[in-house]
Amino acid sequence: MSRYRWLVLGLCLVVCVSLGSGCRKNKVNGGAGSDGSMNGDTLADFDSLDNPMGPRDFDLGELVSDVSFQPVSFAYDSYQIAPNEYGNIDVVAQYMRENGDTRLVTEGHADERGSREYNLALGENRSQSVRAYLINIGIESDRIQTRSHGEEMPIDYGHTESAWSQNRRVDFSLFR
Amino acid sequence: MSFLNVSRMMCWLVASVCICLSHDAFAQGADIRILKDGANKKITIDVSASGSSSKAAAVRAVLFEDLKRSGWFVPAPSASASFLVSLNVAGAGDQLTAHVQVARNGGAGTLLSKTFTASKGDERWLAHQIADAIVWKIKKRPGIAATRILMVGQRSNRKDLYLCDYDGHGLRQITRDGVPCHSPSWGATAFEVYYTSPYAGFPDIYRIDLKTRNRARVAKYPGLNAGAAISPDGRSIAMILSKDGNPELYVQDIRSQRLQRMTTTRHAAEASPSWSPDGGAIVYVSDTTGAPQLYIVSRNGGRARRLTTPARHGSENVSPDWGPDGTIVCASRRNRRYQLMQIDPDGGNNTLLTTGHADHEEPSWARDGRHIVYVKTVGYKESLYILDTMGDPEIALTRFPGEWYSPAWSRFE
Repeated sequence: MSRYRWLVLGLCLVVCVSLGSGCRKNKVNGGAGSDGSMNGDTLADFDSLDNPMGPRDFDLGELVSDVSFQPVSFAYDSYQIAPNEYGNIDVVAQYMRENGDTRLVTEGHADERGSREYNLALGENRSQSVRAYLINIGIESDRIQTRSHGEEMPIDYGHTESAWSQNRRVDFSLFR
Repeated sequence: MSFLNVSRMMCWLVASVCICLSHDAFAQGADIRILKDGANKKITIDVSASGSSSKAAAVRAVLFEDLKRSGWFVPAPSASASFLVSLNVAGAGDQLTAHVQVARNGGAGTLLSKTFTASKGDERWLAHQIADAIVWKIKKRPGIAATRILMVGQRSNRKDLYLCDYDGHGLRQITRDGVPCHSPSWGATAFEVYYTSPYAGFPDIYRIDLKTRNRARVAKYPGLNAGAAISPDGRSIAMILSKDGNPELYVQDIRSQRLQRMTTTRHAAEASPSWSPDGGAIVYVSDTTGAPQLYIVSRNGGRARRLTTPARHGSENVSPDWGPDGTIVCASRRNRRYQLMQIDPDGGNNTLLTTGHADHEEPSWARDGRHIVYVKTVGYKESLYILDTMGDPEIALTRFPGEWYSPAWSRFE
């Protein structure tokens, strides 16, 4: 009899865990998702809404081509900057501090999965996240513009996870 | 506790676990019905042609095809057809004319007696006009034969705007920007289209006059300018802007340029606005609660109402188009594939229109409220198809080389 009770309690636990994990999974991943579906339940570390865009009625100037920067990579469905990606942005910030005549365009990209129009928004949110971090570490907001390309300009035209992970990125274009 | 009771309890628990594990499948299966082929009944019709023989034969052939594609008619011998159409086609100078008479078989008098004109050599346009007049006269529904479809085409790795007739004929390239175009849509007339292009450096919204080929930049705010949708009265433009820090929905009065922000969703993005037929509301995509779902907001602003949820309508619902009859169609993600779903603005009558292993995306209603053009992706290749919500087999639209996506079906001639 007591053996049955433990069995029943064990099965109850299984039910609770599976119910709980189902809910959690839905919340974090937002369901099956694409590169066009973003996590809305966790706040970005740097709030792009505090950084409205400055005017862009200026001539960008010439692309700085004697130096290149590593892109910032993003996880599937996310526009949050992973901790190990800040180093790539810090390098750009340092260059901008040393070269006060430069302006930056953060170029946001998404992988091919999901709605095209939605991926355009995701690319923009990725650009805005990087811009917000740069402003947070002291780069003047009027020196940074954003530009989203959505899924239209992949680095790798393959249809594998390796290709998709390379394509989910923000590139840096510096002008002077 | 008896063994029987314990057994019952175990069965219940096992059933609970099964239901929990398959919760999505059960929830998504609710309210879904899939239309079957041949669900609609056809009207029989015959067309006889006289006059200039080669032109008359050409007009008749196109007209037959148009009547079949309308979904309402099926050709039949004149003895058994319900309706009889007679054409008298003549060419004079630069003009082609057709006098058309439509009558009920065995009935007295004519339903339609009218002369149509087109430019010399344009038998297809002449037939399209006649087909739409016949559809209107007999079914009291707008025809689709004289409408056109705007789309993005990828050829030689360039992504430009193209235009074609509703049946895939008359393909024309509209832009040569050298950069990828996004989200084309129709303006308030048959000669006005909007789209987003980074042509001048950043993604801005442009309007093109198809008659004059003039292009004007209509939104160039810092950040993203995308998803232009013109209100039915032609006075306002709904669009997605990120000038305030992340992508949000705005409506701009075209004349006064007054801009109204419609959403304030911190850390979330909006996309793909589409107006209700009366212009009183906008359906759009937002990921404010996680994955992208559909929301409806009044034209006057205020709190948005959520239309779709993962539990009832698929893990993502994107690319909505609010049709002329008031029904919304969107791409709904089910079992890792996008399927087309139609849904009423109050959330009722949701119907899955497609199934299978292809992705079905970016739907756009025809003005008949019956047909939908959409993107089908098979093996990572995108092409456009016409779907009939009343059950006729789908038709491939883009039978020419290239990849084709983001279609917008004109509501005008």
